[in-house]
Amino acid sequence: MTALTATTTPVRPLTPATPRRRHFPVGKTVVSFVLLPFCVVMIFPFIWMVLTSIRDQNTVFGGSFIPTSINFHGYATAWTSIGFPLHFWNSLWITTVTVLGVSLLAALSGYAFAKLDFPLKNVLYLLLLTTLMMPATALIIPLYLELKAFGLLDNQLGLLILYISSSAPFSMFLMRAFFETLPDALVEAARVDGAGELRIFWQVLLPLARPGIATVVIFQFLQTWNEFLMANTILQNPDRLPLQPVLFSLMGQYATDWPALTAGLTLSIIPVVVVYVRMQNQFVAGMTLGAVK
Amino acid sequence: MTTSAAPQAMVARGSLPAHGRGRAKRGALKRSQRIAGYLFVLPTLVLFLAFVGWPILRAIYLSLTQWSGFGAARFIGGANYLRMIADPVAQHAFLVTLIFTAVTTVVQTVVGLVLAVLVNGVWNKVGVVVRTILFIPGIVSFVVSGVLWTLIYDPNIGTLNRFLGAVGLESLQHAWLADHSTALACVIIVSIWGAVGMSMLIIFAGIQGIDPGLYEAAEVDGAGLWQRFRHITVPGLQPVLGIVISLGLLNGFKVFDIIYVMTQGGPNHATEVFGTYLYKMAFGTTSGGLPQLGYASAFSVVVMIMCILAVIAQMALTRRNDE
Amino acid sequence: MDHHLPSVAGTPLPRRSLLKAALGGAAALGASSVLAACGGNNSPSSSGSGSGGNAGGNPATVRLWTWYGEQKDEFPKLIDAFQAKYPNIKVENRLFGTPDQYLPVLQAAVAGGDVPEIFAPHTRALSYGTGGVSADLKKDLGDSFLTDFFDSANQEYTLDGKQYAIGWMAQTFGLFYNPDLMSKAGVDAASLQTWDDLIGAAPKFKAAGTSGVALSCSPTTSSFDFFLPLLTQISDDPTFFLRLDKQDGLTWEDPTVVKAIELTKRIVDAGVFQPGTTGTSGNQVEQIFYTQKSAMLFNGSWTPQGLIQSAPKDFVKKFKVMKNPALAAGKKHWTANQAGAGLAVSETSKNKDAALTFLKFIYDPQMYSQTMNNSNSMPSTKSAAAKITNAFMKEMTSWLLQGEGCPHIPFGNGTVAAGDPLSQIFEGKGQPADVAKQMQAAVKTAGG
Repeated sequence: MTALTATTTPVRPLTPATPRRRHFPVGKTVVSFVLLPFCVVMIFPFIWMVLTSIRDQNTVFGGSFIPTSINFHGYATAWTSIGFPLHFWNSLWITTVTVLGVSLLAALSGYAFAKLDFPLKNVLYLLLLTTLMMPATALIIPLYLELKAFGLLDNQLGLLILYISSSAPFSMFLMRAFFETLPDALVEAARVDGAGELRIFWQVLLPLARPGIATVVIFQFLQTWNEFLMANTILQNPDRLPLQPVLFSLMGQYATDWPALTAGLTLSIIPVVVVYVRMQNQFVAGMTLGAVK
Repeated sequence: MTTSAAPQAMVARGSLPAHGRGRAKRGALKRSQRIAGYLFVLPTLVLFLAFVGWPILRAIYLSLTQWSGFGAARFIGGANYLRMIADPVAQHAFLVTLIFTAVTTVVQTVVGLVLAVLVNGVWNKVGVVVRTILFIPGIVSFVVSGVLWTLIYDPNIGTLNRFLGAVGLESLQHAWLADHSTALACVIIVSIWGAVGMSMLIIFAGIQGIDPGLYEAAEVDGAGLWQRFRHITVPGLQPVLGIVISLGLLNGFKVFDIIYVMTQGGPNHATEVFGTYLYKMAFGTTSGGLPQLGYASAFSVVVMIMCILAVIAQMALTRRNDE
Repeated sequence: MDHHLPSVAGTPLPRRSLLKAALGGAAALGASSVLAACGGNNSPSSSGSGSGGNAGGNPATVRLWTWYGEQKDEFPKLIDAFQAKYPNIKVENRLFGTPDQYLPVLQAAVAGGDVPEIFAPHTRALSYGTGGVSADLKKDLGDSFLTDFFDSANQEYTLDGKQYAIGWMAQTFGLFYNPDLMSKAGVDAASLQTWDDLIGAAPKFKAAGTSGVALSCSPTTSSFDFFLPLLTQISDDPTFFLRLDKQDGLTWEDPTVVKAIELTKRIVDAGVFQPGTTGTSGNQVEQIFYTQKSAMLFNGSWTPQGLIQSAPKDFVKKFKVMKNPALAAGKKHWTANQAGAGLAVSETSKNKDAALTFLKFIYDPQMYSQTMNNSNSMPSTKSAAAKITNAFMKEMTSWLLQGEGCPHIPFGNGTVAAGDPLSQIFEGKGQPADVAKQMQAAVKTAGG
């Protein structure tokens, strides 16, 4: 029996069942040394952003880094001058419905590509992936003309359909990979048990793909919440616009109201952070095994 | 009882059917699989064909025309592509696109992997905070990131030069986004900054799918940190790493927002990529009063071809590694 | 002893019921919102109900699409006043942030055949005109309406006897300066009449630890704001650029152009500008000026409004403006009238008449002058020019009235691409004759 070598922090998923190992404090310090400066670099622009949102417009540039006087005019302007609540609500419901629609479609099709066998499978897969391959700026006018033909212009429903159609393949891409990490044996055993395909998907595999679904939810929420070009172009009546296009209109060509803009951006980040943190609960290690044991 | 050879093998419940019945049953199973397969994919496929596939076809058609966005499009065959080959700006943009994509993909993937592994080792409660902080750059759109970083890079009042000056490193001060030698690197850094959180998250999720039992067994066998990483983590992350690399390539070839917001492809095309060039042709003022939507579409078709090749290459490589 | 699979026939997993509940709830939420969206689509903003939409006649909607943030507070006031007078006409104001946010949307609407009733034409003014997208306002508004505008503003949008847009805000360029920094450097602003004067003053600014002139060259169209007037100064011909823009008997390799590049190079090499002009955006260049990193600022007449909003209050009180230098003493400065902020009318919309009614309303001399004064903007009409209240606007507009104005907007195919090779000069590289050749080649390549 070889003795256990002294190690730095072992790379080990978080499993409550595994007994804690004692490791040298050196490990934690090393990790901290690497992670800490990284974290600072990561969020520095946002620190600037939040600080700017609480200062006077006249002190944004040229003033000190930490504002000497704090006020919330920026938030007041952002809230009132662009109709923040209305557009926030538009974004919220459009994004929520998109995320749910996409999650369902992506889970179904991702599972099919990962675990089911049918002719032309790879061809269809590649075909669906072409969604990710064209720059959005090249597609915006064809998309506009398409929605016009369907009579869905200037209509939030039209935007929804567009979002779901163009986002599902990417999430499908993710879900397929996650389903592929799950053992085929599970599916086969359930088949042997006499379960129908839909049941196998819904009751056996899907619950085990939690990290995958959580990832999809995070990304889809993020992507839809931040989407600008399609919403800006498809919707004409300003009342129907979601938040991003309206926020960006605060960015003028020559002059920008920085406190208002950064305040609006800060407020708009909050839902995404909330979704992200909530979804983190789904990242529990050994999920696949835990259920199976 | 579990076998340890196949990591996640299970013992099936119930008795095995006899051969004859088995074949018929397998046939029926295959058929129900096929039906299920098509049915599951159907909604996604239908929506795709209607709202993605058709516009893509239209864009491809546009690439064969000359069109200003009003009136009729004039069919000119492959003239746009010939023009692209002769266009020095397009040639340069091709090179910059490749460099941008290669660097961002490699760095994002590697750094994402390292971060995911590190974060995985940090103890529980702090873990969520750290993961959130690392992910925050990706939470805003690249337009916002571009605006924020442009201010940081500002040669006169930006934080970077001010910081360098404060610590006595004035000689390192540059007009970051205006200088040919630094502009592309600066933009690449911002792109990686915004994307590494996503890579980290995907890889981190992938790590959760690896059986902790493998690590325990390896530790018992005396495997060190690096060996566990190399022989358990990396192979276990294969499909997920494939995703991250594919995404890096696709997003790199298509890149537009971050570069346009920061440099508009300048100075003098130092950061010009296909995405920015095609935007200028379609919506910018480069072509004066007349947008060149046909020429712009030709670029988008070339980008699409590059993406298809990248995905096929990645799929082929993964399959080869599986064998 | 057997290990159970999660039983397919057994108790439903909590996850599944959660998912079900979530889907159900979302479906209800989505359904109600979808119904609301469908219901909300009843107001026909695009297809234009009613024919013609005459004032006082059938109801009509006029869409106003611009990025003119200067009037973001004024437009709602104008619209309220208008709708009070014409209750049958609804005006929908859509204010975009920047042209980049605006142009794809405009072009999509044009491609779809549904052009907004009133829109900012940007550089598309002439091509949309000849393409039948925007209306001939000479015909629709009449000469008596148009005579009040500055000649250059009208000429800019005129082609073959038809005028396809009218000026909303005029623009001139000038040299803003900070008297405190000027005296610190020992430079008298009044003495800077020619480029040679400015070049001579450059070392003094350096000695005082400040940049001379802050200039924005990003995007390259901004560098044109500085460069193109030099062409007019050297050729002393206000039609020179108009012909160059259309490549009408002139190319960028013309000796005048080469001379202008040489002059620019002399100015750049003398260290007049701040470092990194090619990376300085419109937003940033003002910041440099009001954070006192430069003594002067070459920028347009939109600057005072921006400074009032963003600069420290004591700075706002002290800065001043003067004409950009001339080629030699006594020669014209050609401060450039870029009436780039114009308004065009959709030719094809069913609500065209309502749109014209709205236009006439907002250009009513009283209304228009008030709007321009409230937003510290430069008007495009002579009558409003006479009633300007803001000191800076008054000063800069007077230059137009003195005949120093000349349009310098690159409408032509590919013209803007010439700015890319030109940026080398601003970086301190390149030989003028060579750069001129590259500029011509770039224009040809981009023009297609």
